[in-house]
Amino acid sequence: MIHFMLNGQSVQTDADPDTPLLWVVRDHFKLKGSKFGCGAGLCGACTMHVDGAAAKTCVTPIAAVADKSITTIEGLGTPEDLHPLQAAWHEHAVPQCGYCQSGQIMAAAALLDANPNPSSDEIDAGMSGNICRCGCYPRIKRAIQSVSENALAYDAMAQTEGRA
Amino acid sequence: MNSVNVSRRHFLQSGAVAGGGLVVGFSLSGCSSAAAPLPVANTKGAWTPNAFIQVLPDNTIRFYTARSEMGQGVTTGLATLVGEELDVNPLDMDIRLAGVHEDYENPLFGMQGTGGSTSIRAHYIPLRQAGANTRALILEAAARDMGVPRSSLSTDNGFVTQGDKRYPYAAFVETAQSLAIDADAPLKSAADFQYIGRDSRRVDAIAKATGTAQFGIDVDIPDLHYAVVVRPPVPGATVRSAEVTAARGMSGVTDVFEIGNGVAVVAQSFWQAKQAAAQVEVDWHSVALGQLDTKALRADYTAALDAGDGVEGPDEGDVEQALSAATTVHEAEYWAPLLAHAPMEPMNATVWIDGDSAEVWTGIQFPFAVPAIISRVAGIPAEKVQFHQTYLGGGFGRRGSVNYLREATEIAVQSSKPIQLVWTREDDIQQGPFRPASLMRIKAGVDADGQLTAWDAARAGGNISPDSFRTLLPAAFPWMGDAVAEGVAQLSEMYFEKFATDDSSTEGLFEDYDHANTRVTHMTVDHDLPLTFWRSVGHSYTAFAKESMIDELAAAASVDEVAFRLQNTQNSPRLNNVIRVAGEHMAKMNPPKGHHLGFAAHNSFHTDVAEIAEVSVENGQIRVHKVTCVLDCGQVVNPDIVRAQMEGGVVYGLTAALYGGLNLEAGAIKESNFHDYPMLRMNESPEIEVIIIDSGTEPTGVGEPGLPPIAPAVANAVFKATGQRLRSLPLQLA
Repeated sequence: MIHFMLNGQSVQTDADPDTPLLWVVRDHFKLKGSKFGCGAGLCGACTMHVDGAAAKTCVTPIAAVADKSITTIEGLGTPEDLHPLQAAWHEHAVPQCGYCQSGQIMAAAALLDANPNPSSDEIDAGMSGNICRCGCYPRIKRAIQSVSENALAYDAMAQTEGRA
Repeated sequence: MNSVNVSRRHFLQSGAVAGGGLVVGFSLSGCSSAAAPLPVANTKGAWTPNAFIQVLPDNTIRFYTARSEMGQGVTTGLATLVGEELDVNPLDMDIRLAGVHEDYENPLFGMQGTGGSTSIRAHYIPLRQAGANTRALILEAAARDMGVPRSSLSTDNGFVTQGDKRYPYAAFVETAQSLAIDADAPLKSAADFQYIGRDSRRVDAIAKATGTAQFGIDVDIPDLHYAVVVRPPVPGATVRSAEVTAARGMSGVTDVFEIGNGVAVVAQSFWQAKQAAAQVEVDWHSVALGQLDTKALRADYTAALDAGDGVEGPDEGDVEQALSAATTVHEAEYWAPLLAHAPMEPMNATVWIDGDSAEVWTGIQFPFAVPAIISRVAGIPAEKVQFHQTYLGGGFGRRGSVNYLREATEIAVQSSKPIQLVWTREDDIQQGPFRPASLMRIKAGVDADGQLTAWDAARAGGNISPDSFRTLLPAAFPWMGDAVAEGVAQLSEMYFEKFATDDSSTEGLFEDYDHANTRVTHMTVDHDLPLTFWRSVGHSYTAFAKESMIDELAAAASVDEVAFRLQNTQNSPRLNNVIRVAGEHMAKMNPPKGHHLGFAAHNSFHTDVAEIAEVSVENGQIRVHKVTCVLDCGQVVNPDIVRAQMEGGVVYGLTAALYGGLNLEAGAIKESNFHDYPMLRMNESPEIEVIIIDSGTEPTGVGEPGLPPIAPAVANAVFKATGQRLRSLPLQLA
C-alpha cells in the first residue's frame, strides 16, 4: 500500500508499485484532467506537480511518490475558481483541441513558482518539454507572460494610476 | 480533359445519396421532419424548435453543435452563427456535442461529417436561419401572450424586451411551440452583426484549461475494462499464431484473443493491458508490403514518372509546343514523405454492448458511420446504437478513419464487457493511416515577357480515396454484406489505379497560376499502405512543389518572386490581392543580417493565403524566426480563431517541413514515438503574425489553408540563405 497526498487529500493505493502515477490518478482516483500522450515522458501531457515540481507522470512509478504531495490540474483551480494561469488561458483563447493544456498549465505553474518573472528564453526552456500539436505556443507564451510578476505588478500599477 | 475525376466530396456525397441519407435542411416549424427522434437531452419543459437549439424553463439556451470540435474552434464559430440571429451571446450558451441524426448532416457532404475546412462555409446561412426563425417564433409568441404588436418588441441576449422591460425567452415557449413559421425570417445585414466578425473568447476554453473537458479517453462507465491491441509491425498483416499464456497470467488481465487487426489484451486498467500486451508473442503472416522500404518506394515512384503512363488530368492547350517556344524552361522533382497525424490524444473508443443495444463514446470526424459500424460488427440494429460525441484531442484527418471504432466494437463483442480501447503512441505513429508520400515533377515554361506559358505537372504516389472508401463503405451502405463491400472496395482500388484521378492527389498542383497550356498526369503507385486525409490533404505536398517551382522559375527568369506571382495570377484576383498585400508587407520588412525572407502563396479550401518566412541557417540548421501570414477567407466569423488556425497551420506545417518523415524498413515504420518523430516545440516555434484581408465575400475554409504555404516559404528562404534548392521534405541541408 502506497500513501501520498493528492490535491491536499491523504490517499493510498494498492496498485503495483511500478504503475505510473498518471494511470493511478486517472484510472484509480478517476481524475481525468491529466492526459496520456506518449507513455515515454516525451510530450508532457501527463504533467503534474510532485512536491511542487513539474513531473512527467507517465514515467513516474507510483513507488517513487510515496509520502509525497501531488497536485493535478484539478487541484490547481476549477471552473468556478480559476488559477490565474487558467484565467489567462481563457483570456488569451489559448486552447485549440485542449488535450495538452492541462500539462502545459501545470508546467507553466511550476515554472512561475520557481521563477515568477521568466524571460522569453526562460519560458521556452521551461515549456519545451510540452508538445502542443495544435501549435498554441505563441498564445501559451503570451498567457504565461500575462501572469508573470512584472505583468501583474504593471497591472496593479496601472489600476492605482487609473490607467487600467 | 479526358479523365474521370472523383473527388472525396463526390464520393462522400454519392455514398450518402445512395444510402438514402441526403436530407439537407433544418426543421424550423417546431417539429422535426425526420422520422427518428432527435438525440437531444430530454429536459422537462424544454422547447426544441430544431435540432440545434433548446430553450429550457430556466432560460438556459442550449446549442447542439453538429460538427466535431477538434481544436479548430468550430463550436465557438457555429454557436456564434446561431447566437447572432437568435440574439444570445455564444459564451452564455450551454454547449452540447450532438449525437447522430440526419438533421446534423454537413450540407456540403450530405452526411454527418467534419472535414475539408467546410464547417463555417456549410453552416453560415443554415445555422443563422435556424437562429433567426427561432427568434421570430419567440417574438410572435411574446406579442400574442402580451397582447401587443410585435413591432413594439425586441430582443437582447435571451430576453424579449419592451422598452425597459425584459422577459426571458423561456416565458413564451408554451405559445411558441404551438406556432409555425410560414417563411424564413430575414437575416441580419453584416452591418448589424454584434458577434460575427468580432473577437470573442472560445466557448470551450475554461473547460479545456481546467481539465474538465471530456475527451474520448476520459470516459468512464461502470465495469469499464481497457483494451490494448498487439498490432502487426507491417500494416495489414494478420496473425498466423500467437503465444498468449504469459499475458493471460498477468495481473488484472481478463481476456486475450485474436481480432482482425491483431491480438487484443483486455484488463482492468490500461496499464495492466499495456504491460500484458508486451508479453504477447505473435507470428504474423507475411504480406507484400513487407518487402518495401523507403528507398524502394521512392524508386517505384520515379520509375512510374519515367514511364509517364498515367491517368491524364486537366489537359489544356499544347504543352509541348508552349515549352518549345518558351524562353525559360525549368524542370524539377519534389518529394514529400509518408507522415503520421500524431494528434495529442491517441485513438480510443469506448463501446458498451448491452443485449441488442449499444452505447458508444468517442471523438470522431464522421459520426454518421458510428451506428452502422457498430451494427455491422456487433449484429445489433443501428437504431439501437446510442452515440456520444466527445471533444477530439486533435483530428487533422486522422479521426475521419473509423478503424479504432471497429476494433473497440470487435473487442467489446468478444469479451462481453464494456471496453475502452486505447492505442499507444507507437500504434499511432506506426499503424497509419498515413499522409501519402508523393513524388512530383513539374516542367514549366516562361516567355520573354515573364508570362508563364506552360505547366506540365505529374505526381506519383498512392490515393486516399480507396482506403477511405474501404473504411466508410460498410457504414454508408449498411445493407451491403461484408464480402460484397470488400469486392466493391477492390473494384474501387482498381478504378483509382487505372481509370481515375483522385482529386486530392493532385489538388493544388496546377490551379493557381495563369498558364494557357496545362497538363496534369497522375501515376498511381499503390503499395497497400493505409492512406487517408491529413490536414490540407493533397495541398500539404502539392503546394511545396508548385510554390518551389514558381520561385525557381522567377529566379531563372531573373524576375522578383512577388512580381512574378502577381503577373501570373491575373485570373485569380483574390489570390492576386493576397500576394500583393503580402508582397507590400515583405518589402517593408527589415530582417537582421543573416536572416532571409522566403515567400509562398496558395489557394486551398477556397481560401487564399500568402506566407513570408524569416529564416536563418546557422551551423547547418534551419531556424525559422518569424512567419507572416496574409489571408482572405471571406467573411470572418471570429478573427481570433482565424488567427489561431493560421498559427496552428503554420506550426503543424513547419513540423512537417523541418522534421516530418516516416521511413519504411521491410514494410514497417521505423519511427515510433516523439523521440524519433519529433514535433516542433515552443523553443523552435516562430513568432507568427496574421493579417486578415476582409473582403466581405462568402466565408471560406480556415482550418487547413494556413498549412500549405509554409514549407515552400521556408525552402525559398533557405535558397536565399544558402543557394541550395531543397526539393525533398523534410528540409535538410546538404
